[in-house]
Amino acid sequence: MGVGARKVAAKAVSPHREYEPYLEAKWGLKNHWYPAAFTHEVPDKLVKGVMIAGHEIALRRGKGGKVYALADRCAHRGVRISKKSMCLTDEHLTCWYHGFTYGLEDGVLKTILASPDDAQIGKTRIRTYPTHEKNGMIWVFVGDEDFKPVPPLTSDLPMRVPKEYDPNPVAFILDDNTFVRGIHRTGDSNWRLAVENGFDPGHVLIHYDNVFIAATDRKLALGWQPKSPEAVEVIDLPEGPKGIMNRYDPHLNLYNYINENAVTGMKVYGKQEYYVRTSMWVPGVLLVEHWPVTNWAQYEFYVPIDDTHHEYWEIIVGHCNSEEDRKEAEFKYTNFFEPLGLLEFNNRDLFAREAMQDFYEKMDGWNQEQLCKLDAVVVGWRKLAARFNRGIQAPPPGADRKD
Amino acid sequence: MTDLRSEPASAQAHEIILRFEDGVEKRITVAAGEYVLDAALRQEIALVHQCRSGSCSTCVAQMMDGDLRMDPSRAHSLIPAEIVQGRRLLCSTLAHADSSVRLDYPSDLLEEAGPKLFSATVEDAAMVSDTVVRLVLKAPRGIDFAYHSGQYVRVKVPGTDQWRSYSMASLPRDLPKLEFLIRLILGGAMSEYLTARCEPGDEIEVEGPLGAFILRESPAPHVFVAGGTGVAPIISMLDSIRRRSGVKPPMLLSFGCASDSQFFYRDEVELRAAWMPQLRLRLSADRVEDPASGLVQGNPVQVLTPEDAADPDTVAYLCGPPPMIEAARRRLNELGVDPEHIYAEQFVAS
Ligand SMILES: Cc1cc2nc3c(=O)[nH]c(=O)nc-3n(C[C@H](O)[C@H](O)[C@H](O)COP(=O)(O)OP(=O)(O)OC[C@H]3O[C@@H](n4cnc5c(N)ncnc54)[C@H](O)[C@@H]3O)c2cc1C
Ligand code: FES
Ligand code: FES
Ligand SMILES: [Fe+2]
Repeated sequence: MGVGARKVAAKAVSPHREYEPYLEAKWGLKNHWYPAAFTHEVPDKLVKGVMIAGHEIALRRGKGGKVYALADRCAHRGVRISKKSMCLTDEHLTCWYHGFTYGLEDGVLKTILASPDDAQIGKTRIRTYPTHEKNGMIWVFVGDEDFKPVPPLTSDLPMRVPKEYDPNPVAFILDDNTFVRGIHRTGDSNWRLAVENGFDPGHVLIHYDNVFIAATDRKLALGWQPKSPEAVEVIDLPEGPKGIMNRYDPHLNLYNYINENAVTGMKVYGKQEYYVRTSMWVPGVLLVEHWPVTNWAQYEFYVPIDDTHHEYWEIIVGHCNSEEDRKEAEFKYTNFFEPLGLLEFNNRDLFAREAMQDFYEKMDGWNQEQLCKLDAVVVGWRKLAARFNRGIQAPPPGADRKD
Repeated sequence: MTDLRSEPASAQAHEIILRFEDGVEKRITVAAGEYVLDAALRQEIALVHQCRSGSCSTCVAQMMDGDLRMDPSRAHSLIPAEIVQGRRLLCSTLAHADSSVRLDYPSDLLEEAGPKLFSATVEDAAMVSDTVVRLVLKAPRGIDFAYHSGQYVRVKVPGTDQWRSYSMASLPRDLPKLEFLIRLILGGAMSEYLTARCEPGDEIEVEGPLGAFILRESPAPHVFVAGGTGVAPIISMLDSIRRRSGVKPPMLLSFGCASDSQFFYRDEVELRAAWMPQLRLRLSADRVEDPASGLVQGNPVQVLTPEDAADPDTVAYLCGPPPMIEAARRRLNELGVDPEHIYAEQFVAS
């Protein structure tokens, strides 16, 4: 370069910068609600430890069975309080080591078993997190303690599908008279790779030779290719959920269903036409309407744990208005939805995300990837998450030592 | 109101209480005929200031009680409404009674990040428009240098003895990188260096951080008014807001340049608006040659509307040339913004 300031092109902003905050969100989006445990995983007299977006959280039931969430690091010597449950009253969380005992409501140190007249009492505290429990799931609002007011849980879930979007809307996960059951497991990939796999219209190929698809003779394409920008709809409800939807609705005809490939001779064998619709919601919640079968829904949560792991939640949701409905739902869930859907079918998704991890973690994947026509919705999601997050989670202290 | 000019200056010393934003109070004695700022500095109390001549407004304070008057023999940049409201420029203020003033920055602002002198290297200098250069400097590793979004440094123009002030457009977390937006002035010393001599690797002397134009915590609506390269510290503030904890306030950035062809950094400010739904933009140019540019005709002050300051707690940050700052203060006053909630940095010739 010569002397003096160099000239730059008029438009110097690279496409990546449009979602720069998303690229910073290695540890997740903060100030959002995330599922933390199933109801049955937090029985009375147990301190359950979880990690979400680098926050170590202890869950414990108090008076009336209400679930509380507190920081899972004792202020005294820093052990994880959940490492060994010590439940003495229904108002306190006691650390098993020297007995620092905190109020469940406010996290303030109320007494020390081994030093009851200690000057620390009343002076120190551990932080607390808002919680919500419904239909067998426990949610925690993870982020800054000073983020007030705490937004409603519904703003971090898929929208309740309105009649204009579907004359037969699937059930909503928080409603009464709803069957909600599922599993969660840890995936060895960054949460963003999990999200991006979840509703990627090109990824159906990984499910091509799946027993579920073959056994039901479903016509699941090799890929779903958007025809125009309308194929993807951004949904921004004021004070409510923010999402992006693949408009697979048959009457809209916005996708090319790729059922064979001329070069390789590969083709789809299934005969049964089948309608589903997928949408992704901030902070990373997938809704698959009419899946695994018509009138049911599958919710998926890709909850950041740390920068290289996420908790993969797969939840089946259905209308359930009577005891008879419930029995039938249990039967289908146990013998079909879980083994064939959540495990057999979705194992492929977990496999694909974990396969991407090395490239994105170690080989500068976010800059080296070469996206194609299929990926418009992935970029749409990135921009949505960059815009509507309530904060980018910074790594916890000491976390970047290895870098 | 009494005619200030007709009264003789106080002939005795007075005690002044300085109340800082963090609640700390300090007391100083101001001698007869002595300026309050000079008295504070003499008593080793660091107060934010710059020109010491009544023009830059950085030393502004709010009189709480007592009798403090601007030196009638000095020209200064306060508007009459501000004087009535008790605003005083301490570098040019005389005490007529024991008094107290409030300062809108914490007492440790100057202590925590006392100015340092160091030598930085030029990493890049790029023309982002025909008249604006983005200069990127790299501070040496291991120096104890930190700053707040909105502050500036002084840099020595290489090959000369001249120092010029520039506000950081980058964030403290981007250190050791320091990014500036510098307007080229025909025949200017820095401008000449940037256009004709600057090369990556050049060494540049830097002194800083300086200035009290810093971002405050407030949930109230924020109005940012930026003229030309005055957008530099505002970009840093917007990026700080994006990254800090808590709920983001509603924000308006009114940013203007002389003409649409000189408009720069449009994609950068539009990115901020894409990342933060709370941020609205109003982009203007005094001369709009191409109507398709989408810029509003006018300057960033003229395009402000009463709705922009509808909330009585609105806070405003102004940065740009002195006439723009003065016009913006006047306009925001008219719109009902509390003068104590207006923070400004003027790009006077430095
Ligand atoms: C606190 C502070 C922060 C500043 N931050 C920035 C910044 O971030 N970006 C930026 O571009 N500038 C900023 N300035 C202005 C900057 O310090 C210089 O004054 C400006 O860059 C001119 O420098 P120069 O060496 O090119 O011209 P000079 O050699 O100083 O001046 C050449 C001629 O232009 C006139 N002149 C100089 N400056 C101005 C001016 N601002 N308006 C009108 N006429 C002028 C001079 O009187 C002289 O006649 C800031 C000023 C202050 C006080
Ligand atoms: S470490 Fe918890 S009480 Fe000592
Ligand atoms: S220091 Fe008082 S106006 Fe500049
Ligand atoms: Fe899948």
